[in-house]
Formats: sequence, C-alpha cells, structure tokens
Amino acid sequence: MSKPANVVLLIDDEPKIRRFLRAGFELNSFAVLEAENATEALKLATFSSPDLIVLDLALPDLHGAEVLERIRAWSNVPIIILSVAAGEDEKVRLLQAGADDYVVKPFGMAELLARSEAALRRYFKSATENPVVVAGPLSVDLVTRTVSLNNNLVRLTRKEYRLLHVLAMHVGLVVTHDQLLKDIWNGNQRDNIQYLRILVRKLRQKIEADPNQPRLLVTESGVGYRLQNRLDAAPVAARVS
Amino acid sequence: MFSMTSVRQTDSKLPSSGIPALDEVASLRVVVWRNVIPVLLSVLSIGLVTTALFALSTTLASSLVPIAYLVPVMYAATRWGVWPAMTASITGTAAADFFFFEPLYSFRVDNPQEAVDLLLFLIVALVSSNLASRLRKETDTLRQREKEMHALYDFSRRLASCFTVADLISAIRQHFEVAFGHAATLFVTTADGHFEPPESRFAPLSVQATAAAMNSGAGPGLQTIVDEQRAEIWLLRAISSDSAIHGVIAVNIGLGSQPAIERRTRRIQSILDETALTLQRLDIGKVMESARLRLQAQMLRDAFHGTLSHELCTPLAAIQGSASVLETIPAIRGDARIRTLVEAISDEASHLDGYISNLLSATRVTAGGLSPRREWADPRDIVHGAITRRARRLSAHRIEATFADDLPLLHVDSGLVEEACGQILENAAKYSPSGSTITVDVRCEPHRVHVVVSDQGVGITADEQQKLGQRSFRSARHQASVPGSGLGFWIASTFIQANEGVITVHSRGQGQGTTVSISLPALEPSTSEPIALTDE
Repeated sequence: MSKPANVVLLIDDEPKIRRFLRAGFELNSFAVLEAENATEALKLATFSSPDLIVLDLALPDLHGAEVLERIRAWSNVPIIILSVAAGEDEKVRLLQAGADDYVVKPFGMAELLARSEAALRRYFKSATENPVVVAGPLSVDLVTRTVSLNNNLVRLTRKEYRLLHVLAMHVGLVVTHDQLLKDIWNGNQRDNIQYLRILVRKLRQKIEADPNQPRLLVTESGVGYRLQNRLDAAPVAARVS
Repeated sequence: MFSMTSVRQTDSKLPSSGIPALDEVASLRVVVWRNVIPVLLSVLSIGLVTTALFALSTTLASSLVPIAYLVPVMYAATRWGVWPAMTASITGTAAADFFFFEPLYSFRVDNPQEAVDLLLFLIVALVSSNLASRLRKETDTLRQREKEMHALYDFSRRLASCFTVADLISAIRQHFEVAFGHAATLFVTTADGHFEPPESRFAPLSVQATAAAMNSGAGPGLQTIVDEQRAEIWLLRAISSDSAIHGVIAVNIGLGSQPAIERRTRRIQSILDETALTLQRLDIGKVMESARLRLQAQMLRDAFHGTLSHELCTPLAAIQGSASVLETIPAIRGDARIRTLVEAISDEASHLDGYISNLLSATRVTAGGLSPRREWADPRDIVHGAITRRARRLSAHRIEATFADDLPLLHVDSGLVEEACGQILENAAKYSPSGSTITVDVRCEPHRVHVVVSDQGVGITADEQQKLGQRSFRSARHQASVPGSGLGFWIASTFIQANEGVITVHSRGQGQGTTVSISLPALEPSTSEPIALTDE
C-alpha cells in the first residue's frame, strides 16, 4: 500500500474484544490504538488524531454515548459503535448523536470492516472524487442524476431518486428513517413512515433482482435503511487475497 | 392530640376568610343549574313539539297530538328525572288543550270525548314519567356501582403489582385521591413492625406524630386533627385486622364553613369505612409481604440478566470475533481442513449465542418487560430479515419464500415479530431432515397478514400440540436426538401475542410435516397511493 495506514482507535474495556479487533484491523493494514476507558479514549482521540474510532458503549468510567458526544463536539472522525444487543431506540439515538454506524455484539470482523471502510470513504471523500457510487450491479451518478443497473438505464421518479441519492451518499452506512423522511419530504412528512416503506418497496422493484429478497437496499429493522456496497458474505477476504 | 369530639370546639378557631362564602355561593349555583335548567328544557321541548305539530296539517296533527306529546315527556324522564318529566306532562296537556282541542286557543274543553282523551294523556304521561325516571335512577346506580367496581379492580391489580412499600403507598394514595377527591396518604407499619412515614412534606408534623402513635396502637382508631399552622383539617383512621394495625389513612379535608366541613367529614368517613374494609379484605399485610418477595425476585432476575449478558456474551463475542478474523485470512481460507475447523467454531458459537439470547428473551418476558415498540413495517422485510439473520442455521435446508402482491404494512414491533418468525423457522429446520424444503408463504386477507411456515419434518402429535404453548416443553420423542431448550415456540408465541397476533400450529400427524401460521393485524391494502408519494 502506498498511502500510510489508517489509524483506528479501539475503545473497549474488554481485553478479549480488543485483542481480536486489533488482529482483525492489523491484518487489514490499519494501525491500531487502544483505550480501555473513556478518559484514556478522549485523550487519545484528541492527541493522536485517529482516522476511525470503534467505540464500545459499556465503559467503566463514562457511558459510550457521552464519549461520542464529547468527541463529536469538535471532530468529524468516523465513529462506529459496538454494543451488546442495544434496542432500536438507542441505535437511532446514537446515530442522531453523530455515530456513523453500529455493529451489535457478537459480530463478524468482515461486517465491522465493511462498515469501517464505508465510513472512512465518506470521511475522506473529496470534491475531485468520482461522483459515481457503485453498489454491486447498480451505479448512481450523483452529478448527472442517472441510475443504471447492469449498464442499463433505470428510470426513477423524483422521490425514488431522492431516496436512492441519500442512501448512495452514505453507501455502506445505515441511514435512519428520520433522516430519510427529512431529506425526501423536506420535513413535511416526518411522521409518515408508511410513505417511506411504500417508496422503498417501489424503488426495490426497479433496482433489485428479487424485490422480495433485497440485497442492495437492505432494511435495518427499527432503525433505517442501508445501501449495500458489497454483496457477498466474505468480501474483505476476497479483496485482501 | 385531638379526639373526635375536639373538632367541633376547634372549628371556630379556623381562620375565617372569603373561602366559605364563595363555597356556599358556588354550591347554590350548582343546585340551581341542576334543578332549574332541566325543567326549562322540558318546557322548551314541549314548545318544539307544538311547533312541529303546527307545521303538519291540522287534521293530521289532532290525531297525533297525545302521542307526540309523550315523546318529550319520556325524554325528560329518562334524561332529567321525575320533576322535569312532570312539568313536561302538565305543560303538554295544557298545550294540547290550548292549541289543538276545540275551542282552539282556550283552555276550555267542550267535547267530553276530548276531555277523556286529555285526562288519559295526563295520567299516562305522569305514570310513565315516574316509571322512566325510576329506571333512570336504577341505571345510574348500576353505572356508578360498575365504575366503583372498576376502580376497585384496578386498585387491587395495582396493589398486586407493587414491588416496594413506597409503590404500595403511592398506589393507595392515588386510589384515595380518586375516591375522596382530597389529598390523602397512608402511614404504614412494615414487616419488622416499625413505622415508615411517606414523604414528610406531604402531611403536617402533627398528623405524622398522631399517625405514628396510632400505628403503635395508642389512642382511638378514628381521629380528627386540626393543623393550625397550615390551616388544614385531617381525618385519620387506622386499618387493622385481628392481629395488628397495618397502617393509618390520613385525608386532608381542607377548609370551609362549618356545615361544609361537617358534610364533607360525613361523606369521607363513609368512604373511609369502606376503604378500610377493602384494605382489610385485600389483606394489606400479605400484599406488603409479597411485594417484598417480588422485589427480591426482580433483583435476582436482573442480576441473572446482567451476568448472562456480560459474563457469557462477552467471551462469546470474543470467540466469534476471533473466528471471523481467522476466516478472513487467505492462508486459512485456502486450506479446506483448517477452514472447516474455523467454521465449526463460528457455528457452535452462534448456536450458543442463540441459546443465550433465548434465555434473555425468556427472562425479559417473565419479568413483564416486554413493551412492543410499534411502527409501520413491511412484512417482506420482517420475513426476509428472519431468514437472512439465521442463514447459517438454516443452511442445510431449502427455504422457499413466496409473497403475495400488494401486502399491506403491519403496525408491529418488527424486532419482536422477526425474532418470532426466526424461532419458527429454526424449529422447522431442527425438526425436519437436512435437504428438505421449508416454505414460507406470506399472504394477506382483509385486515390480516399471515406468515405460514411449513416443513416436511417429523410433525406433531395431538398430545404434543396441546403442550406446545408451555414454557420449556420438549417432546419426549426428541429429548435425546435434537438439542434445544424448549423455549423457542414459547418465545415466538409470546412475541406474537404482544403484537396482537395469533400463532397456530397444524400437523397432519407424526412424520407428516408441521405448518405454523402467524397471523397479524394489518391495514387495508392501499389501492390508492398516498398523496405524499406523487411527484410534484
């Protein structure tokens, strides 16, 4: 790799968890920093300027949500939350508080890496970058507003495109219902999650091979939707080899 | 300490202010409102009927007159009681005579036939208004009694769900405040015999002191305290069963003129008597004891929950995570033997994780902590989520999912329903041979969506079917051959019930496969698009 390694800060009080996270990230060419409590974490986040933070919610000295808030007060660094069976409400709250995504324990390394890379890509995205978002057979050109599936142009209604646009801007990351409703209906229909469900159903009919078994536009039950950018189960390994 | 008799002497010492006068004026206004308005209204309704009869032709009207005037009489009787109904009867007779019987516009009646008619009408009207108003009174009493029963039932249910003495006191206090219409509280004797006052700011010190004395058995069981500092009058009554005093109810009856206070005191005393009886019947002592036990059980359960989720889930997450890291390493993926070992670690860990989350779900259900968080969800998402989340455990079977077109949205907690569908799918896989097909059919009928899961497995006998809903039931046939905790179906059915759904199991018998049908309430499938979806 030509560019210097991305630095990830792992914040978790369990050495067992940190151990395998370190191995997983190092094997995928990250440089790893570790913190076992919030105090240490905040210090490292401030002085070592990591490119990515993986934050566990259960810390001995401060709740993870508080740590998230304090870091977000001055930094946009991507933050992925680790949690043990968090309720949907809590996930939504954390996402609204500025977390980029979450994984629920127990999770696979491939899943965490996919989320991390999606968050990093969004963080480092620059103006000169290719404005075309590719997710499997689907590509979305954010400038010309064209959508194609297996190189065939897909015609979308304005609302459908807006939905896809918001998801494509966050490709690989979860987007909450609230944010989608806000962005698509300009805040006019914020309580009408039914409209969103129906819109998703219509969009799936146009972009999914089997709308009943969506692989591109997946539901995060109780939280929101995600545009998958990798379709196979073990994508990271394939890329590494 | 003041005794019951001292209250009358101290009454005169109450600070006199404008309040009593206002009180009286207000009550007078209420009396006028209650009695005069209905009478006026019943006269008005007679007027209305008269106008209506005038609008009809005279010939038609005269034959309708007696019957038409009975309508407002009956209405007044059922709605306002006997006096307005009597008024309506008499005004009705007069109006009929004046406007419709010859000679018109005079109260004289010439035709004896018509005189008899009028008299008959008056008698019928008076008798039926009496009957109707009596009926009304009875209905009112019944309704009132039903309301009281409801309140009492709610109260006893609340008592049964109290964990601490503080919960108990707040439940009782709320009940009092509804029953008395005045601030009230309970001073209790706890299991170890000592007296525990509620928030001290609530009742004045003199009341607290007296209550404490009464709790220890001193003084009479019914007392009145006048607190001069706060200018409040409190009624205190001890609740006791044969063995001990369980507590003292204290009611703040506030201020007012002497007759107002006396009236209130009488009313509250009768409610107090009843409440004391109720509390004795509910056996407040036992209630407190069981509240303590429940609190302990809850604490144990919480500790168990915490231990499970931390001491078991964390190492398990580490095992699964480590295995997943190994799976990403090319050298390991390249070697078939090592790969199967790593996959075995992952599989077993995910099985173990399944058991633990089942146990957690079960404790959640028994702890009564299941509060569905409902929102609009697409049944396709739910079923698809259930299948993909368990992809690994279902990998030995062919899953065929079919969805009806135009499925309506469901208003459910999608997490719970997905978990329930997952449990059913997992059971189907567990009890049917590898390589067989499991079908998931999602269809709708008006107001309902059905998720029907069918397998080609061992089936269920009639006897097993009966026990299926029980927690931890496992059929003797499979105890040895199929691993499991017997929680799966129980969790699924509880989660579905929490979403107002129904789960039914059907099997043609042993070896003939099983069909589990989950039925959930739904909206009508919308044929018209919501306006918000159309493009501007």
